[in-house]
Amino acid sequence: MSETTATIIFALVVLLGAVSAAAVLTWFERRLLGIWQDRYGPNRLGPLGIFQVLADMLKLLTKHDWVPPFSDRVVFVFAPTALVVAMMMGFAVVPFSETLYIIDIDIGLLFFLGMTSLAVYAVLLGGLASNNKYALLGGLRSAAQMVSYEVFMGLSLMGVVMLTGSFSLQAIVLAQVDGWYCFSQILGLYVFLIAGIAESHRLPFDLPEAEHELTAGFHTEYSGMKFAMFMLGEYLGLILISCMITTLFFGGWLGPDWLPGLFWFSLKTFFFICFFILLRAAIPRPRYDQLMSLGWKVLLPITLLNLVITGALALSLQGAS
Amino acid sequence: MTGSTTAELIPFIVYFGGVILLVLTMLGLSFVLGQRRTNKATNTPYESGVVAVGTSQIRLSVEFYLIAIIFVIFDLETVFIFAWAIAFFELGWQGYFAILVFIAMLGVALVYAWRCGTLEWGVKTRVGLEAKDN
Amino acid sequence: MMESLFYMAGFVAFTATVLSLSRTNATHALIYLIISLLAVAVMFYLMGAPFAAALEIVVYAGAIMVLFVFVIMMLNLGQAGEQRERQWLAPRIWIVPTLLALILLVEMALAITQISGTTSGVEVTPKEVGLTLFGPYLLAVEIASMLLLAGLVGAYHLGRRSIDRSRQS
Repeated sequence: MSETTATIIFALVVLLGAVSAAAVLTWFERRLLGIWQDRYGPNRLGPLGIFQVLADMLKLLTKHDWVPPFSDRVVFVFAPTALVVAMMMGFAVVPFSETLYIIDIDIGLLFFLGMTSLAVYAVLLGGLASNNKYALLGGLRSAAQMVSYEVFMGLSLMGVVMLTGSFSLQAIVLAQVDGWYCFSQILGLYVFLIAGIAESHRLPFDLPEAEHELTAGFHTEYSGMKFAMFMLGEYLGLILISCMITTLFFGGWLGPDWLPGLFWFSLKTFFFICFFILLRAAIPRPRYDQLMSLGWKVLLPITLLNLVITGALALSLQGAS
Repeated sequence: MTGSTTAELIPFIVYFGGVILLVLTMLGLSFVLGQRRTNKATNTPYESGVVAVGTSQIRLSVEFYLIAIIFVIFDLETVFIFAWAIAFFELGWQGYFAILVFIAMLGVALVYAWRCGTLEWGVKTRVGLEAKDN
Repeated sequence: MMESLFYMAGFVAFTATVLSLSRTNATHALIYLIISLLAVAVMFYLMGAPFAAALEIVVYAGAIMVLFVFVIMMLNLGQAGEQRERQWLAPRIWIVPTLLALILLVEMALAITQISGTTSGVEVTPKEVGLTLFGPYLLAVEIASMLLLAGLVGAYHLGRRSIDRSRQS
């Protein structure tokens, strides 16, 4: 079997793996939150209730495939599709192990940032096309939130790029053989973590969908499979952000030799997925103005400070050695 | 060279095709399997159970425009920082002081936006105006 | 091979731009414009400038076009637009942009691996861009930062009047 064939098979594995992981995550999240809050969560179907995923899928598939007659129909269908495609394409540059990756381009990190910035359109166009007041307000709100946090997201990663001298994600992983960036880039990690949650608008930063103010925000008019695609995009975003945190700050697939790199990569990513879910259980939702102030007034200065400090330290250490 | 790189690329194309196929399958399946029903209120916009009043063509507050402008400006500035970060060690101290000036300008922009109250949401109070009004 | 890819991207960019200009619906015009920008990104890549290509996507498609969509949402060309829009809602409008986007995506994917055979014959790596910007063109970079600051001040003062108005009401 040639290398290309192997990579093609791996690409399909990633495709199915990411989607099924996102599907299982819907059940896993409810179970984990249940345990956290001293209740059961879905535990009826199959072992530990895992077949709940299948039941939900069947239910969503048999829902009325409704496109509001008052909406911009094509844009309405296009919006959730764009979100899923953009998020899925983000996985193309993630290095899962030394040999397992779909493509390793020299602008991999910028490709990831580009894909997340294209995801904004899904929210904006979804809100605009729905022609519903809640959807419009929710879309605008979430777009303002996403673009704000996009700025710090890009900047917070620049410390890593500085130390590596490359945008290639595989090169970034290999540069961490001597030490993970989570120590030297602790400020960058902090900002990226928060920006990542805000970018995939997960709780506690799910203000676009704040039920008590905007019913469901930009996807108020969405139902059935198209709603499920927005949710799928959100869970894919969660997994993608966890993958990127692992890759950029926690040494990616690096780990002790007695287990393959893919194992270490999955373990670390799984840890961050659990972290994001438990964060949801632990922290209440802030007000919208608080969220925006946090971004511009705290996180942006921190990122700039991180760049200045990292630059000075790295250059003087290099001069000393 | 090109042969080997094209070979590297094929998985990417296959992956992209797979993603498109997956999305189309999801939409197609739900279109075929979905039930169809038309009740009295099926085709009205959702407004918490109340009959919709007016259209969704509402005036939006100017904060969103300002945030979008600030975002574009800061995004452009980050691009310069991207260019610096990638060649960080090659540029050395000279590049470091250059970017320090650049970041200082960025800081000035941030402070300006902050002082003007662009970053505040809710009721707008521009610095220096409160005294006159109250 | 590379040249034909380049001309294809150029054709896509040209067609998308023309269509974007001829659209009467602002949202549809914008989507054509985004496709046109993505086509230009592919052209940059083919000319051996991967960094410029990435920036074209991150800055133009990802940031400036978002601002445009914001403005469209805020202006909300309501009543008149709604009636006109109903006439144009035919799905066939979307066939062409989708096709163009697909051609572009396949092409971009093809192009990514063939960095060696660039149209201009010279490849500029991201690192070289950084070295040049912060070397000979350092002054231009600093001036650009001042220009952006001026832009921020200008934008604020344009929007200020409506802030004051919303305060009074």
